[in-house]
Amino acid sequence: MTKKGIKHLAGKVGGIKNLLIILLATLWGLTLLADIFVVEKIFDPLGYLYIALGIVALRYVVWPLYTGRRLVQYYWQRVKRNRLAVLGLAFILFLILLAVFGPLFTPDPTAANFEQKNLPPVGFTTEESIYNPQTGQFITKTISGTWEHPLGTDNKGRDLLAMIISGAGVSLQVGLLATGIAVALGTLIGVVSAYLGGKVDNILMRFTDIMMTFPFFLLLVFIVFIFGPNLAFIVLVIGLTGWTGTARLIRSETLSLRTREFILAAKALGASDGRIILAHLVPNVVSLIVVIATLSIPGVIMAEAALSFIGLGDPAVTSWGMVLRAGQQSLDTTWWVAVAPGIMLFFTVLAFNFVGDGLRDAFDPRSSV
Amino acid sequence: MGKTWLRDYIIKRLFYAVIIAWGILTVTFILVRIGPTSPADKYLTNLAARGEEPAQVIAAIEARYGLDKPIHEQYINYIGNLMRGDWGWSFSTSMPVIELIKTHWIYSFQLILLSTILAALAGILIGIYSAVRQYSKTDYIATFFSFIGISIPNFWLGVMLILLFAVQLGLFKTYYDTGIPLLSLANLKQLILPVITLSTGMMAGYTRYTRSAMLDNLRKEFVRTARAKGLPERVVIGKHVFRNAILPLVTIIMFDLGSIVFGGAYLTEIIFGIPGLGRISFNAIFADDYAVVVAVTLISAFLILLINLTTDIAYAYLDPRIRYD
Repeated sequence: MTKKGIKHLAGKVGGIKNLLIILLATLWGLTLLADIFVVEKIFDPLGYLYIALGIVALRYVVWPLYTGRRLVQYYWQRVKRNRLAVLGLAFILFLILLAVFGPLFTPDPTAANFEQKNLPPVGFTTEESIYNPQTGQFITKTISGTWEHPLGTDNKGRDLLAMIISGAGVSLQVGLLATGIAVALGTLIGVVSAYLGGKVDNILMRFTDIMMTFPFFLLLVFIVFIFGPNLAFIVLVIGLTGWTGTARLIRSETLSLRTREFILAAKALGASDGRIILAHLVPNVVSLIVVIATLSIPGVIMAEAALSFIGLGDPAVTSWGMVLRAGQQSLDTTWWVAVAPGIMLFFTVLAFNFVGDGLRDAFDPRSSV
Repeated sequence: MGKTWLRDYIIKRLFYAVIIAWGILTVTFILVRIGPTSPADKYLTNLAARGEEPAQVIAAIEARYGLDKPIHEQYINYIGNLMRGDWGWSFSTSMPVIELIKTHWIYSFQLILLSTILAALAGILIGIYSAVRQYSKTDYIATFFSFIGISIPNFWLGVMLILLFAVQLGLFKTYYDTGIPLLSLANLKQLILPVITLSTGMMAGYTRYTRSAMLDNLRKEFVRTARAKGLPERVVIGKHVFRNAILPLVTIIMFDLGSIVFGGAYLTEIIFGIPGLGRISFNAIFADDYAVVVAVTLISAFLILLINLTTDIAYAYLDPRIRYD
């Protein structure tokens, strides 16, 4: 294709970056179709979610961040003054590193080893009575933690540290992917609803009402019960049911933008509805989207953990909820199995809440942080 | 004029509520239908597991559930049956679902009621105190703990409470005893841990809402006026500020009931073995007892619909500033 041809095409869809995105999205769609109908397994389902979200993030997060470096720097200065937010950010980075590189240094989290079951964490000792078949008596044996299993093992001898690291990966994946889907969907529905107004608005908002009337967690349990637990599916379901709050907030924000001069100017210049929505409205609610996304991640992570906790998690992956479930069933012998995943869950949720609050204050022009 | 306006508003809200109720029924119907296994399959597996002749029961089940009929007829029957109070048969407990729910709802109700009252009272009081003494030591401590309360996963908190107070200290039983009469001190005692589990998150949330709502109103002009008039601080806070801050709070509490409390109660009941609606749904999931799971989901959704409707109407009635078109 000639240079001119590319330019012409790019002009049609509103710039070279949009053309690139459309090409990437088409490629993604074709791979997915090929995966379903021609060959088996190019990527697993979660892989597709990653790539799709990556494309959207490239267009609406990475690109604006890059072009708006000065603004980003300004906001970073404001966020930096909030020590808790920085602390939260540091913890999230630590968690990401743990989830990515941790599995390289720890044993298989699913490998049972009954020789080394019920080992307490380093620095703790427990007493276990063991039946001796020769003498027919119980002997009390003191077991202390070893550095081989820094956090101890559960009643099947699985390494708790390895399980926690595996769980960190699951929680982060679910948190980021499901929130990504939910926020993208909520933004789209909110903006379209507010911009088009009238009948569309009415129908979309009534549908939002219906979805909001279901208690979020019970709906989740219901759907996973019907369709079966699978991590990619759980992510998808949380994403497809968790958009309602975002839609409402984005809608009310867009309603006030809709009548502003720059939108009227864009309309007067002949911009299409699609262009106004994607190029003018969405970029103007980005700061709100970022805050909503950060503050929804904790709820999503907790929802997945709660699902695994009641036994509706993906049995193929070790998640914090599942470890907690195992821990609850053996509270009287191995208390540490129940304590560890909860502490991680708690700090993760706390970290995202801190960062979200910090971002909200930083984006709020009225606050002087 | 005022009265007709209110009447029109109520009629409109009722109309919306009917649409939403229909939406809830339709969404659940679609979900169950497009699921990979039909309710009959799960029912069948269970009957076959009990040693009954599968071929014999197929016809019976299909006739019972009308699964041989075209999809639109099934849909109409489904809604019709639910309206008539026929919520299906729970085979894992061998009784009609509606009977099952009638015997178990009270356990969920007592848990949710006690937790909500405790959370609202404590949250509002701490929030007011925190706002009135902004930037004091108490305020910092309250803010700190409310952050912790919001971030702590309530099911983990429940497990930790059991570990500490039941397993280690032996102060409580690890399991809920249904033999104890509901209206007794012993029942109240065994509800202590579950209520703490369920109410901590809510309480933290209400503390934060109350604090920020109070602070918003404390800065307003009418507060300065009230103080300038020489009213005692108690009256300014209690009558002027609190009254204005409380209304949005009621909506938030009502909204929380749907979004957080029902899910939280579900988990709390599972952890403590309280035989409420959450627990029977949980048991039904592992017995593949479709009808119960559907019923509990539907009931919670309808309850929330009812709560929202009541809140909206009460709001319109109570707050003279609110006018909808």
